[in-house]
Order: sequence, then structure tokens, then C-alpha cells
Amino acid sequence: MSANHALHTELPAEPEKATLEGRNKILGFWLFLGGECVLFGSLFATFIALRDKANGGPTGVELFSLPLVALATILLLTSSLTSVMSILAMHKKNVSQMVVWLVITALLGLGFLGLEIYEFTEYVHEGHSLTSSAFGSAFYTLVGFHGAHVAFGLLWLFALLATTGKKGLTVVTAPKYFVFSLYWHFVDLVWVFIFTVVYLMGKVGI
Amino acid sequence: MTDTHSGANQKGEKHLPSQHSARNHLITFALSIVLTAIAFAAVALEQVDIKSVVPFIFLLALIQAGFQLFVWMHLDQKGHQFQRIFIGGGAFVALLAVIAFSYWIWW
Amino acid sequence: MGHSHAPKKKGFLMDYLTTVDHKKIGILYFVAGGIFFLMGGLEALLMRIQLIVPNNTFLNGATFNEMMTMHGTTMIFLAAMPIIFALMNAIVPLQIGARDVAFPFVNSLGFWLFFFGGVLVNCGWFLGGSPDAGWTSYPPLSTSFSGFGIDFYALGLQIAGLGTLIGGINFLATIINMRAPGMTFMRMPMFTWASFVTSALILFAFPAITVGLVLLSFDRLFSANFFNVANGGNEVIYQHLFWIFGHPEVYILILPVFGIISEVISTFSKKRLFGYSSMVFATVLIGFLGFMVWAHHMFTVGMGPVANALFGIATMLIAIPTGIKIFNWLFTMWGGQIRFTTANLWAVGFIPTFVIGGMTGVMLAAPAADYQYHDTYFVVAHFHYVIVGGMVFGLFAGLYYWWPKMFGRMLNEALGKWNFWFFFIGFHLTFFPQHFLGLMGMQRRIFTFLPNQGLDFGNMISTIGAFGMTIGTIIFLINIAVTNSKPKKAPADPWDGRTLEWAIPSPPPEYNFKQTPQVRGYDALWVEKMAGNKGMTPAEPLGHIHMPSGSILPFIMSVGLFIAAFGLMYEKVSVAIIGALITLLCMLLRSLIDDPGYHVDPTEDKGVEA
Repeated sequence: MSANHALHTELPAEPEKATLEGRNKILGFWLFLGGECVLFGSLFATFIALRDKANGGPTGVELFSLPLVALATILLLTSSLTSVMSILAMHKKNVSQMVVWLVITALLGLGFLGLEIYEFTEYVHEGHSLTSSAFGSAFYTLVGFHGAHVAFGLLWLFALLATTGKKGLTVVTAPKYFVFSLYWHFVDLVWVFIFTVVYLMGKVGI
Repeated sequence: MTDTHSGANQKGEKHLPSQHSARNHLITFALSIVLTAIAFAAVALEQVDIKSVVPFIFLLALIQAGFQLFVWMHLDQKGHQFQRIFIGGGAFVALLAVIAFSYWIWW
Repeated sequence: MGHSHAPKKKGFLMDYLTTVDHKKIGILYFVAGGIFFLMGGLEALLMRIQLIVPNNTFLNGATFNEMMTMHGTTMIFLAAMPIIFALMNAIVPLQIGARDVAFPFVNSLGFWLFFFGGVLVNCGWFLGGSPDAGWTSYPPLSTSFSGFGIDFYALGLQIAGLGTLIGGINFLATIINMRAPGMTFMRMPMFTWASFVTSALILFAFPAITVGLVLLSFDRLFSANFFNVANGGNEVIYQHLFWIFGHPEVYILILPVFGIISEVISTFSKKRLFGYSSMVFATVLIGFLGFMVWAHHMFTVGMGPVANALFGIATMLIAIPTGIKIFNWLFTMWGGQIRFTTANLWAVGFIPTFVIGGMTGVMLAAPAADYQYHDTYFVVAHFHYVIVGGMVFGLFAGLYYWWPKMFGRMLNEALGKWNFWFFFIGFHLTFFPQHFLGLMGMQRRIFTFLPNQGLDFGNMISTIGAFGMTIGTIIFLINIAVTNSKPKKAPADPWDGRTLEWAIPSPPPEYNFKQTPQVRGYDALWVEKMAGNKGMTPAEPLGHIHMPSGSILPFIMSVGLFIAAFGLMYEKVSVAIIGALITLLCMLLRSLIDDPGYHVDPTEDKGVEA
């Protein structure tokens, strides 16, 4: 079944799908993403319902800075690309290249997170917090949950990178990188809807 | 490569990894940047009237999401039937929630 | 290579604390669910005692509210779902010819999360008050006008819900990827199909209540404003989220039971299930439509006539695929050689009882009529007819049917019949009068009622019936005890079964199938029997079987979240962080430490069939 001691050169073309466990993990993760769609969908729905209930405090039109959001978007989008590149490198059995791409992914992700933390602290100074209004509660819960997903993804990535040296690329470890990459793409996908629904629509004032 | 006793589904993927070469992924990236830029521009430059700009940027988001799902996450490949079904199901229920909260929440 | 031939023998306790074997996890779910069922039943009995006469003083209002809340919460989340998971765990891998589920470790995690979540919900009894805002816990009652207990509800259900969600993912992946060769989707047994659709419902419904409970907890713990109207919040948001989960939840409860009824009726009529394809289609349609009807719980909230009409029509539509199923079961029995074993008594008792419940459901589906029925005992009667008369009857059928496969012993048939008749008659005595109590205007969730309103007689009969159900349950417990004292001698196939689980010993060896079977049609075992074979044809040669090792990590991870919940409730941030770190650390350990598993040589097992 699982070839724990397969040599590099013996790895099949798509190592993540070479074992039943690998295929199960990938399928299981896609199923989880289906559930996450509903989770974020519910948070989006809540935000849409409460988006203009600022309780006299600052509204989205006043708060949101499009350049900052654009920069954060570029960072996250690029990190999604670099994670794709890491999987392409994995399929070429080039472990060091895969690691390089993953490290860049991590740095870009950290940049995104840093920007978001800065953004949130600015908003709190301006009177927009979880407790200030229903809009605030909905904003921080939706965008915050997304940020928490980014943070958790980074922890996951660090753990993966830390073990790459010791375990290398095998039919057992390949699914882990692939599944991480799926997760990271999904996190970026959710962000596409966040910048559209929260920031762009917020700036329009609808 | 595939286990024989794993059942009916993975009958052996016909596509090769090179089918989704770096090229397709880079095209998706470029397209995503462009779609994002258009959306931001539509709002920042206030060139589109308010009533149409929201469906417009939402459509752009859907297109971008589609490319990322189908190219970056390989949803268009063979053997991803159940993945498509379950992401579709999740998106459907999410849509139900959004519709409900848009029409059936009132003060 | 690091593979041992067999793991060290563990003591009984450690074995069950660390098991990743779906059969043992099934037993864990059954025992825990069973204990919670008894607690929920006691809560119900206490309520009925309070309501036996008007102006009774057995329980005061506050305590009654706790009983009412805990009865509903416990029965649905901590008794019904776990027992369903018990049967799914015990049977589905066997029915598809698999050796275990797709994710054995995660399976164990799902159980322990449910267990500690359930314990957390019940901590309120001795820590300052149980939840008392109903099993639905609507704001503003649950945010502004209730005590500490609601936090036990919100956090406990959150943890338990995580367990259920990962269980659903597990069964979906198992059924998609691990069927034996030759078992196409349209050759799967109905219980497996039902488990598949149910797991999809779980996947899509539970995240909605996850969000609902998060919003509730944020309002309570962190002064968020989701439901605080003064600051712009809206309470209807919670209702939508709760019922977008809540309605699929009741289909999650009933669909597996529909699967059980199909198996039991066809086995004990010695006849192939009538209309298999339409049964599959109906199951999928019910699952899909189940997501389109949630606002029928909100007809009187004020959504307006268009919304009410849409949801009313959609609700009535579900009666169609359900009706298909009822007719197919009847047509299966027609012309069959029917044996009234206890399992079949429960299944046949299910049919008219569930139909009554479904019928009152269609009555409730008309929005204008519902304005009269809403929040009366008519609704209480309806849902108990479908949940108890439907789901619980079906679970009893499944337990009597599959007990030998799970435990290696046959439940006593004579005691089983006493169990059935006391429970069945007691059930109807309890809930049939409640239709009329509701029509006469008795509201639900009230702790007492005034005399001379025409409500006295109905309530008294209802309470007497509750005692009947109690006696029936006690007889079932006696049956378990009596059965347990006998030796484990159940045959592999006590009922002349039709499906794969009866092709292996009772109980099965730890690896289930010595050789994965080759499936040649629906009712895979029956196909072989009709061809004159003694068992299944193997699909692979005999060889060493690789098994996953047990692990204590799922137990510890669940304890970590349990601790974190206390930290959140008592506003001790350090405790919350420590609890979360314990869980995260275990996840890291699981990732870092590879499990080589161990190998089993099946030829060393004596008396093992393929």
C-alpha cells in the first residue's frame, strides 16, 4: 500500500494521487471546502443584511481605503499563484524548488496578514469595532474569520516546511502539500468575494 | 499506480500533469489581476452608475472565482466529478442564505 | 520496515479510548447516545408529571424551562444523531465491502468531540443552571434575558457539531472511494444510499448552525451586536440561520431510518425492495428539497405572503417523494413471505405512525392554517409523531436487526415484543391526544395550565402514555442485560440476509473481510445465494492486511476544546488559550508522527469466512 521508503526517482507522475489514502485526503478536503462555502456564505449573508447598520458610527464609505485593499489583494493573489507553482515543482519532483515557492507563499501571506492587522487597528481608532454597531460585528466576524483562516494556513505551512527536510517528498507526504495548496486557493477565492462584497460594494455605498 | 481494490471510481487519469502547464496557471493569474483591476477601477473612478456597478463587479468576481476553481484547483479535470458536485452544492446553499438575508430580513 | 504483526494487547479501557476501528466507534456512539437518550427521556417524564394535572407544583417554571430545553437539545443532538452514527459506523463499511472508513483517526475524533460537547451542554445542571431558552435558543431571549446556561448550550453544541460535521465528511469519502469492486452506486444497499445523502445534508447544514452559534456566542461573550436591535442588529438573522440548519437536520434524522426500513422490510418479506431506483431518486430529492423549506418554521414571523407561499408549496412537495417511499415499502411486503420478528414489528409499526406525522406536517405547511397551529401542542404532536414514531421506531428496528452483527448476540425476541408493544401503545397514548390539545388552544412550552379549559383529560392520558413508553424502554434495557449475559454465539447470517454485512462473522474480525468481495448486483449477498454459492467471491488474493494504529490524540484534542470552552465562558483568557493550544499541539503531533500501522495475517484467525 503506502511505499514509505520509495526513492525520489521512483515517484509516480502525480504522487499525491498514487495511494488510496492520498485520494481520500484530497476528496475529503474538497468535501470540507463544500462545507466552508456554506460557512462563509452564511457570514456573507449576515454581512449583507447588516452592512448599513453603522449605528451612527463610521460607514464603509468613510473607512475603506481602496489602495490598501488593492495591495492586500495583490499579495494574496500572488501567493495563490506561488502555491500553484509549488505544486508544479512537486510534480517535477523538484523538492527544493517546491520549497522556495512555498516560502514565497508564506512571506506574501504574512504580508497580507500584517496589512490586515494594521487596517483593523486603524478602524478601531476611528470608532469601528466589533461592539460599536451591527455593521461592525458583521464586518469583523466575516473579514476576521477569513484572516483567521489565513493565519491558520500559515501555521500549517510552517509545520509543513519544517518537516520537508526530514521526510522529503514521498507518496505519503505529497498529498499534504497538495491539500495545503487547495486550502490556500480557497482562502484566496473567499477573498475575491470579500473585496467585492465588503470593500467595493461598501465604497459604492449600496 | 492506482490501487486495484479501491473501487469503481479512479479508473486511471487520462490527462498528464503537463496539461495544466505553468502557462495556463500564469494566464489565470494575469486574468485575475485584470478582472480585479477592472472591478476596482469601476468603483474608484465612479464611471459606472450605482445600480449597474454592483452586479457588474459581482459578475467579475464570479468569473475570477471560476478560473481559480477550474484551473488552479483542477476542477475541470477528469475524476473531479464529486468535487464539482459538492462545491456546487455548497455554493447553492450559500446562495440560498444570501437570497434569504437579502429579501427576508427587515426592520 | 517497522510493521509489527499485532499491536500490544491493550486493556479494555485504553482500547476503547484509543480505538480508530469503526465497529468499536459505533459501539461508543451507541453507548453514549443511549445514556443521553435515557437522560432526555427522564427530562420528558418529569415534564409530563408536571403536566398531568392543571396548576401542578411538581416543577416550577424555571426548572420546567430547563427540562424542556434539555429534553429537546439532548434528544436531537446527543441521542438521535449519535445512535444514527452508531449504526452508520457499524454497518456502512460492511455493506460496501470496505475494511474501515476513509479516515479512521478523524472518525474517532468525531466521536470524542460529540462526547465532550454533550458533557459540556449538561454541565449546567450543576454549574449554575442549564440552558432554558428552548432547543432553538432564539435571541433576544437567549442573549438578553437568560442566564449562564445558554453558554453551555452554544459552546457545547459547537463542539459536538464539529464532531458531526467531520463524521459526515468521513462517510461521504468512504462511500465515494472505498466501495468493493463491482459495487456501483446503483448497487448500493438503501441504508448506504441513505447514509450518503444524509452525510451530504450534514456537510451543508451544520456550517449554518456553526455560524448561528458563533453569532450568538459573540453577542453573549463579546458584546457583539448581531441581535441587538438598538445597535442595528436583527433577530430574524438567527432564525434563518438556525432553520437553514434545522430543517435539513430533521431530514438528517429521518433519512437513515428510511434506509433501515428498506433493509428490514425487504429482508423480512424475503423480497427484493420494490422500486429501488425510485427509492434512490426519492431519497436524493428529499435531501435536496429539505434545503428549500426552512422558513416554514417562520411563517408567523412576518416575511410576507410571497415568501410564505413559496415555502408552503415547497414543503408540501416533499410529501411526494416521501409518499413514493411509503408505497414502495407496502409493495415490497405485498406477496412476500413476511416474518414478524421484533425488528419487523418496529418497521411495520413505523409505517402508519410516520404517515400520520407526515400528514399533520402537510397540514402545518399551509401558512394560513399554521397561524392557528403555530406554538401549540399540535406542532408538538406532529414532530413527535415523525421523530419518535418515525425515527425512534426505525432505530429500534435497526438495533434489533443489526444487534447480532454489532455484538455477536441476538436480542431476546419475547422481551423485544413486550418492549415494542409497551412503547408503541404508550407512544400513541402520549402524543395522539396532543393534536387535540393543540387544536383546543393549549400553547407549547408552558409549565402548567388552568383547570376547566377542556385540557385536563388529554394531558392526563398523555402522561399515562409517557409512563408506558418508560416501561417499554426499561424492558429494552432488561433485554440488553439479559442478552449480554449469554455467550457470543450469533451466526453470521441470522436473518437470511441480502446484503454484504451478513457475509462475514458476527461480530466481524477487526479487518472485516478476509478478502474484499466481488459484487455482482444489488442485494450482493442474495445474488450469490440465488446462484448457489455459499458466500461472496473474493476480488483479491489472500494476503496480509494493513490496519491503522489506535491513538489517544482524538480524546486529548476534545478535552482541549472542552477546557477552552470553560475559559471562554468564565472569561479566563489564559484557560481558553491553554485549551486551544492543547488541541493545536495534538494536531501538530498527528502531522509530525507518522503512523506505520500494523499488519494482520488473516489466515491466523480461526473460523473466518471471506
